[in-house]
Amino acid sequence: MAENGRLRLKDLYLHYRSQKGPVQAVDGVSLHLERGRAVAVLGESGCGKSSLARAILRLLPRNVEYFGGEVWLDGRNVMELSEEKFRREVRWVRIALVAQAAMNALNPVVRVGKQVAEALRVHRQMTGKQVRRRVRDVFRQLEVPEDFIDSYPFELSGGMRQRAVIAMALAAGPRIVILDEPTSALDLLTQANIMNALKRIKEEQGTSFIFITHDVGTSSELADEVAVMYAGQVVEVGRADRFFPDPLHPYSRKLMASVPRLHGGGGLEFIPGQPPSLVDPPEGCRFMPRCQFSFEKCREAPPLFHTDDGRGVRCWLYEQGCEAGLAAQREPTAAVEPMDDTPPPEDA
Amino acid sequence: MNDSPLGKQWGRTLRRMGWYTLRRSVALFVTVVIGVYLTILIANMGGHVDEIRLAQIREQVGARMMADEQLQTLPSEVIRDLMEREVQLESRRLGLDRPFIVRSFLYLRNALTLNLGRAEHVTSDTGSRQVRLIILERLPATLILFAPAQLLVFLVSIFGALFLSRRYGSVLDRAVIALTPTSTAPAWFYGIFLILIFASVLRVLPFGGMVRTPPPEQTLPYVLSVLRHMVLPLGSMFIGGIFISLYYWRTFFLIHASEDYVEMARAKGLSPGQIERRYILRPTLPTIVTSFALSVITLWMGSIILEIVFNWPGLGRLLFEAIGLFDTPVIVASVVIYAYLLALTVFLLDIIYALLDPRVRAGHQGA
Repeated sequence: MAENGRLRLKDLYLHYRSQKGPVQAVDGVSLHLERGRAVAVLGESGCGKSSLARAILRLLPRNVEYFGGEVWLDGRNVMELSEEKFRREVRWVRIALVAQAAMNALNPVVRVGKQVAEALRVHRQMTGKQVRRRVRDVFRQLEVPEDFIDSYPFELSGGMRQRAVIAMALAAGPRIVILDEPTSALDLLTQANIMNALKRIKEEQGTSFIFITHDVGTSSELADEVAVMYAGQVVEVGRADRFFPDPLHPYSRKLMASVPRLHGGGGLEFIPGQPPSLVDPPEGCRFMPRCQFSFEKCREAPPLFHTDDGRGVRCWLYEQGCEAGLAAQREPTAAVEPMDDTPPPEDA
Repeated sequence: MNDSPLGKQWGRTLRRMGWYTLRRSVALFVTVVIGVYLTILIANMGGHVDEIRLAQIREQVGARMMADEQLQTLPSEVIRDLMEREVQLESRRLGLDRPFIVRSFLYLRNALTLNLGRAEHVTSDTGSRQVRLIILERLPATLILFAPAQLLVFLVSIFGALFLSRRYGSVLDRAVIALTPTSTAPAWFYGIFLILIFASVLRVLPFGGMVRTPPPEQTLPYVLSVLRHMVLPLGSMFIGGIFISLYYWRTFFLIHASEDYVEMARAKGLSPGQIERRYILRPTLPTIVTSFALSVITLWMGSIILEIVFNWPGLGRLLFEAIGLFDTPVIVASVVIYAYLLALTVFLLDIIYALLDPRVRAGHQGA
């Protein structure tokens, strides 16, 4: 089987059990990832981004209610593999994960180098010398001083620890790396350094990235494509160079408008209302209760509409195509009647 | 690994550990001294035991004189004088003429140098009053029963808990949780039921004691007899302790299984066994070792009520008898040995911690 690093998710579901009922953390997500590309998964906290990462790697917590869908990796549906086979053939060798809160992702009582080497010993059957050379290589790629190979995690600064975790993810040479908020806890300079290192690795080695973040700014650094998640669903997906200047979905537009900008003036926008509960999501379009453009049709769940430039958007405004939808959002009252039970539109 | 900066680092670590060890041993010794001195004060009831002892002496002397027919012919003043002299002599022999506060420090010195002295009432089975001999005679009985019991509960609960934490929410897991409250009753409580069932109704196991009377003369029958007598007390300790211990460790492992680095180890594609060994057991080893070491030193005291229920000739029963008889030397000796063992254990634990956890070795705070 060729390891070309193509990943296709089709209707991936991950529901958790909870006291109040099933939590629909990942609810029918479909995504494509080509070799050497990076897709940014954007969304607010609690929209199911991290659950998506776990669902791809089948890292399920104890309270799983339902887990299903298809994960096609290099032309094979890996959802059909047994747990043991999946562990040996997919985890870390093909898809690695840099987990959220990577500050605690290292075993406190084992030397950093040994932890990085562990994946190599388990999966790649390398000799001691080869392992050592490979660990040095990945440390160099991420600009971690080689002295740190023999250090314990507590002796490293936050930024260095984060780099060590990324080095650990890259060590076994996976084609796909899932980065779950890799830089959220770090200062801006360290963030920029790490993003640059990741960009270089992407270009030099053709590694694909799934970059999960709520930080629109850093995501634009690395992303070739963007998927916006809302309440467990992908509401918009498309090329980054199209998305960032001109997002389509009303939620995406609000999300982008909430990013501070140096130039361009105007106050920051926020999205009224609360993110929906994943236990009991709104029927129909899940963004409807917070959307200023909602109308009668939004009571039905919208499909993903495809636009002419190859983007997808889950919003009824785009039923008649891209232009109509954008026009409707520029002049809300002209195109559609706001529903009675929604808050009055605010000035954009 | 052996290049000079790392070597230097080790040198520094060793020096710091040496200094630390010294400070720790001084602190622990002071703790032992305070503990033992408090015990001496309490066991002597702050000197009140002296009065009891003086009264006892007076009674003994009086009884002896009453029994002596020759003395009955003498005038009563002379008898009273004689009696007074005898009492004085006896109390000087016991050192009761000196103020208690002075003697308390003498007792302290003797206790700390393990000069355990003579018992006042308790004797060993061979008739000796040497406290050292009395304790040495009782110690094997306690160890032979409590060491296997503690070890059994500890090992079964650690490995059982790992097993349960893998099967969180299963029927077995729920059953153990449901049975946990049974551990609120002490082991001897179950002991009584076990005696009722297996000794009085079924008549398959002995009611109590450590060995058949008369004791078998050959080794093998002797050992078998002791084992037969151990079954019920061991069983009752196991029933009394296992569920709470399982529950505790199961919850402990569940908490540590949700650490970020365990999640990361799963993502790395390590096998469940590797994760358990390297990512759950290894980082929590200091806690497990502490718990084990502390349970080992409780061996020393035995268990007073359990030993009484099963008529087991161990240290717990000795302490009970000594307290009942105001036998201060025996009480103080039990406590001083316990204090030394406790201090030694804590001291060893400190060193083991440093070996197991690099953060302790580096003198790292927090994390």
